[in-house]
Amino acid sequence: MGLLDILTGKRKIKAPAESRLFAMSTAAVTLEMTLQLRSGGKAAIVFQPLATADFESIVTDMEEVLRGTGEDTGTGVERTDDSFGYRWMVLSDSDFEDLVVGVNVVSQALQDGGYGERILCAVFAFRDAHDQPVYWIYNYKRGAYYPFVPAGGAQRRDTERELRLKAQIGHELPVEAELERWFPLWGIPI
Amino acid sequence: MVGDMPRPTSFGKDTGLQLRMTFTMFLLGLVYVILVVALLGSGVNGVTVALLAGGLAAFQLFGSDKLALRAMGAREVTPAQAPELHAMIDRLCVQADLPKPKVAVADTRMPNAFALGRSPKSATVCATTGIMELLSPAELEGVMAHELTHVANRDVLVMTLASFFATIAAYVVQFGFLFGGGHGDDDDNPSAMVLFLVSIGVYVVSFFLMQALSRYREFAADRGAALITGRPSALASALTRIASGMQRIPDRDLRATQELSAFYIFPPGAGKAIGSIFSTHPPMEKRIAALQRLEMQLQGTA
Repeated sequence: MGLLDILTGKRKIKAPAESRLFAMSTAAVTLEMTLQLRSGGKAAIVFQPLATADFESIVTDMEEVLRGTGEDTGTGVERTDDSFGYRWMVLSDSDFEDLVVGVNVVSQALQDGGYGERILCAVFAFRDAHDQPVYWIYNYKRGAYYPFVPAGGAQRRDTERELRLKAQIGHELPVEAELERWFPLWGIPI
Repeated sequence: MVGDMPRPTSFGKDTGLQLRMTFTMFLLGLVYVILVVALLGSGVNGVTVALLAGGLAAFQLFGSDKLALRAMGAREVTPAQAPELHAMIDRLCVQADLPKPKVAVADTRMPNAFALGRSPKSATVCATTGIMELLSPAELEGVMAHELTHVANRDVLVMTLASFFATIAAYVVQFGFLFGGGHGDDDDNPSAMVLFLVSIGVYVVSFFLMQALSRYREFAADRGAALITGRPSALASALTRIASGMQRIPDRDLRATQELSAFYIFPPGAGKAIGSIFSTHPPMEKRIAALQRLEMQLQGTA
């Protein structure tokens, strides 16, 4: 944001950065082979559902496309709305590659409709050797991933584990550099 | 449906507001140039005053946050203490592409919220327990998005800097009363008298200009909030609810805090303003009308 924007209080909501979503496709292999993190078979994309007619129709069309291709690829689609008013499109597929593709279908449909800035994030669920959940969250506006490991109990996260994951994955994933932007997502439904 | 309707690409654009804001700042600048010329004309006194005021402004920018929070009876809360509020702000920060500010809660029934801090990294947003009880989650989200926009727009910094010269003018006037009277008023220094008069003028004019600037920045924050949440009507609904809540509850709690460099969703002394040009916040009806225009842009019916 430039000086002029600060002075005039101009504020455009940021559109998605250049997509690095697909970095997860290759990183998932490393995650499984060297870090013993298996895919939980689920991924989700979270966005703000706007109460406008054309937004509704974009979402409905996009869901139809997903269900259509899902019959070939075996990807399941579910939608839930959380208590903060965000919509979760939950995809389930044992093939991890299909999950990434499915998430990209949703985000691409929203961006093509002119609503890319309404996307909050995408979430990929993994399970560690003890079957505990480990999430990788993709922030569209930053074009970067960060790990999120709930530690059980209210609003607790295993920050040490998250930092270690960042070091272990190295340069295979674009990881968010600013730690204060590793926003938690409590109550992830996948 | 999708085809012919105007796409909401213009959603949130308000060139008029931008122009008015720029013009106001230009006028403020002009007034201050006059003051500086007068200060230079009167010699060393002015420089001392400028240093003094500079120190004060720096203190206000760097040291006043904690004081302000304490004066409000606010305390910082952890995610475990206020999970809902934290989770809401987390999501808004992702949408607004901001680092997470500190989150505080003030234990008062007065429904209000405010933002502090000179930069996004050092910002604090605060909600009162009253506002969290009064509003629905979507309405509260609108209010917190309004505060986050103040943070993103660096409104504390802009307004503190904008008031810098007005503070100098105020000091010159005060010193004028203190020393000018002692020296005797008839004799030597005509430039001191000019400076005194100019300072009074600068103070009065800049007061009104700053109130205007503050109102424009409130409009900008409302608009920013609507952009972040995509729900202009939720914020409009929150504003009406806060306004009626304000009238029911006496504002004794907040009376002492009017001078704080905080950015409220709603002015603490609301309802008592004599005229709109004395007010830091635009009138409720105008804010709601602006939000309704945004909703129409969003719906493609504008």
